[in-house]
Amino acid sequence: MNIKTIFTSSFFLRSIFATSLFILLFITGITFKHMIALADSAELLVHSYKVHIELDQLNAVIRDAESGQRGYIITKDSSFLLPYTNGPDKINESFSKLTSLIVANTQQQLHLDSLRNLVVMRFQYLAKTLEKDASKESDKYAVLNGMREGRDIMNLIRIQINKMVKIEITSVNALNKKYKNEISFTPLFTLLILLFSLLVFIFSYIKISKDYEILKRSNDKLLISTESITHAEEIGNFSSWQWDMESNKFIYSDNQYRLLGCEPQSFEAGIEGFLEYVHPMDKHIITEGREQVMNENKYPAAFFRIIRKDGELRYFKSLSKLLTDAQGKKILIGINSDVTEEHLINISLEERNRELEQSNKELASFNHVASHDLQEPLRKIQTFISRISENEISTISKKGMEYFIRIQSAAERMRILIDDLLLFSRTNKAEKIFEKTDLNNLLENAKQELVQVIEDKKAIIQSDVLPILAVISFQIQQLFINLIGNSLKYNKPGIAPFIKIECERINDKERSMFKTDMNRQYYKITFTDNGLGFEQGYAESIFILFNRLHQTNVYPGTGIGLAICKKIVENHAGHIRAEGNPGVGAVFTVFLPA
Amino acid sequence: MQNDQIHILLADDDDDDCSLFKDAFEEIKIKTMVEVVNDGVELMDYLDRKDIILPHVLFLDLNMPRKNGLDCLKEIKGMDHLKNMAVVIYSTSASEEDIEETFVKGANVYIKKPSDFGALKKILKEVITINWQYHTSGLNRDNFLLSF
Repeated sequence: MNIKTIFTSSFFLRSIFATSLFILLFITGITFKHMIALADSAELLVHSYKVHIELDQLNAVIRDAESGQRGYIITKDSSFLLPYTNGPDKINESFSKLTSLIVANTQQQLHLDSLRNLVVMRFQYLAKTLEKDASKESDKYAVLNGMREGRDIMNLIRIQINKMVKIEITSVNALNKKYKNEISFTPLFTLLILLFSLLVFIFSYIKISKDYEILKRSNDKLLISTESITHAEEIGNFSSWQWDMESNKFIYSDNQYRLLGCEPQSFEAGIEGFLEYVHPMDKHIITEGREQVMNENKYPAAFFRIIRKDGELRYFKSLSKLLTDAQGKKILIGINSDVTEEHLINISLEERNRELEQSNKELASFNHVASHDLQEPLRKIQTFISRISENEISTISKKGMEYFIRIQSAAERMRILIDDLLLFSRTNKAEKIFEKTDLNNLLENAKQELVQVIEDKKAIIQSDVLPILAVISFQIQQLFINLIGNSLKYNKPGIAPFIKIECERINDKERSMFKTDMNRQYYKITFTDNGLGFEQGYAESIFILFNRLHQTNVYPGTGIGLAICKKIVENHAGHIRAEGNPGVGAVFTVFLPA
Repeated sequence: MQNDQIHILLADDDDDDCSLFKDAFEEIKIKTMVEVVNDGVELMDYLDRKDIILPHVLFLDLNMPRKNGLDCLKEIKGMDHLKNMAVVIYSTSASEEDIEETFVKGANVYIKKPSDFGALKKILKEVITINWQYHTSGLNRDNFLLSF
C-alpha cells in the first residue's frame, strides 16, 4: 500500500467519524426535543386535570349551598345554612384559582366570566329564596318558584361547566394526538439511526483494523529496511547524511560517527562538527563542495582525508543528490564512504603499474640490444666466415675445415635464434591494430613464404575457404607460416607432407570449453598433417618458449615458433590446442573470435 | 675516363664494415670511387666542402656517434644542392620504425647489412646499377627495402 492510499484512507476515516458525530448529535437533539414535548404535555394534562377538579369543586360548593339552604328551609335548623354562608368565600377561592389556571386561554376566560355571572345569579336567587322564606308572610309558591328558577340557573351552570371541561378535554386530546403522531416515528427513527451508526462503527472498525494491519506491516518493513540500512552501512563502511538546505539542519546516521571513530550521535550533526575530523589540508574540499552545491547546483563527488578520533588517517569519498520533498523543501542527501582500503590498493596498483612500465621499458631496450648490438658482431662473424669460405678455404687443413664448418653452423644457429627472439618480442609488444582481413589472402602469403620448402618436399596443402576477420594481419600470417612450417619440418621421411586446413564456426558445446566469454562466437581452424606427430603428454609443453621435442642436429629449431603461435592467438583473444599421435600426425586447432 | 666513375660515399663508424664495404666494391667489376667518413658531423663537413665532387650515391649508417644517420638525412634533404643525391640507408637493424622513418624523411633505398660477403657484393652491385631517375620517380614503400 502506498502513501497516497493511506492518506486517502485516513481522510475517509476522518469523514466517517465526522458523520457519526453529526448523527449522534442529531439523535441527541431529537431525543431532547421529545423529552421536552413529553414534559410539556404532562404539564398540560395536569393543568387540564386541575381545571377539571376546580370546576367540579365549584359545582360541589354551589350544590352544597343549595342543598344546605333546602335543608334549612325544611328543618329551620340554621346549621344547614353553613355551606351557604361559607359558599361565596369558597367560590371566590375557586374562581381565583381557575383564573390563574386559564390565564393563557382566552376562550376559557370568556366561559369563566359567564360562569361567574351565572354563579352570582344563582346566589342572588338563593338569597332571594331565603329572604322570602324568612318573611312572615311565607308564600309557599313564591319559595317553590324561586327554587325552580334556581334549579334552571343551576342547570345552566352545569352546562357551562361541562362546556369548559369539554374544552379542556378537547385540548388534551388534541395534544395527545399530536404527541402520538410525533412519538410514533421516534422509535423507528431512532432505531434506523442506531442501525446506521452501528454499521458505520462496524465499518470503521474493520477499516481501522485493516489499516492498522497494513500500517503495522509497513512499519515492520520499514524497521527491517532501516535495520538493514544500518547494517549495510556498517558492512559497507559507509554512512548517510541529510542536509535540509533551508533550515540548515543536518541528520547523520550512526555510522557517520563510527566512521569518524566517535560514539553515535556524540556531537551535533553539522558541517562544523564534521570539519573537526577532516584533514586540515582537505577542509577546503568540504567548504568548496558546499559552495558549489548552494551556488551552482552541482553535486560533484568529493575525495578527502579524515583524521579519526584515535588519530588514524582514512580516505573518504562523498556523493550527494538533491531531493525535493512533498512540501517543496530542498534536502541534500549523501553518502560518505571510507575508501581507504580501495585507495591504498589503488596506490599500490599505480606503483605496480609504474614498475611494469619500467620493466617494459627495460624489455624494449633489451629488444634494441638484441636487435642491434647482438646482431652486429654476429653479422661480422658471418661475413668474415663467408670471406674465408670464399677465398681461404683451400689453405685450411682438413681438421681446420671441420671446425670451420661447425663454427659456420653455430653462427647460423645463433642468427636464427636472435631472429626468432626478435619476432617473439615483436609479437609481444607491437601495436595491436585489428583490421578486417581476408584470411585466405594471409594463407596464400604464408604459402608463398614457404614456397621453396613446399616444392622441395612436394607437399600438398588442401584448405577450406577461410572467413574474413578483424585481425592483426601480419601476426595471423606469421601464425600460418609457423603452423604450416612446423608440419613441413616434422614430416615422415619419404612421405610427401599432406596438410589439411579446415574451418568452421563452433557450436555451443565446444564453446563451453572456454570459460572466459560464453556469448562469444568462434571460428575453429584446424591444421591436420600426416607427419611424425608427438606424444599427447607434450601437447601443453610444446607451446612453452624454448621447449623442444627433438635434438637440434636432427630437426634444427629454436623452440620459439609455437610459443609465437600461442602468443599471437592470445593477442586475438583466441585459443590454440595441439593433438599428437606418434607416427600418424598432429592436429593444431586455432579458435579465433568471430 | 674519370667521368665514367661512380662516386660513392660511405658514412659508417665501424672500421670492419668500412673495410668490407671497400673490399666488396673492389671485387665488383664496376668503376667506382669510394670515399669514407666515420660519423655524421664529418659527413656534413665533407658535403659542405667546395673542392669535392658530390657523390652519386651516399650509403648512410644510422647508428653513428656525434650525429646519427637520421639527423644527417634530415639535413641533406633540407638542402637544395644535396636533396637530389641518392641516399641509401645502410644499417644493421631493419626495424619497422627505422624503415618507416627513413622512408618518410626521403631516403631512396634501405639495405640491411648482409651477413654474407657474397650477398653484400650482390646487393651493392644492384644498388649502384639502379637507374636512379626511374627508381626515384617510382619510389614507394614496397620496393624501399631492398632484400637479398
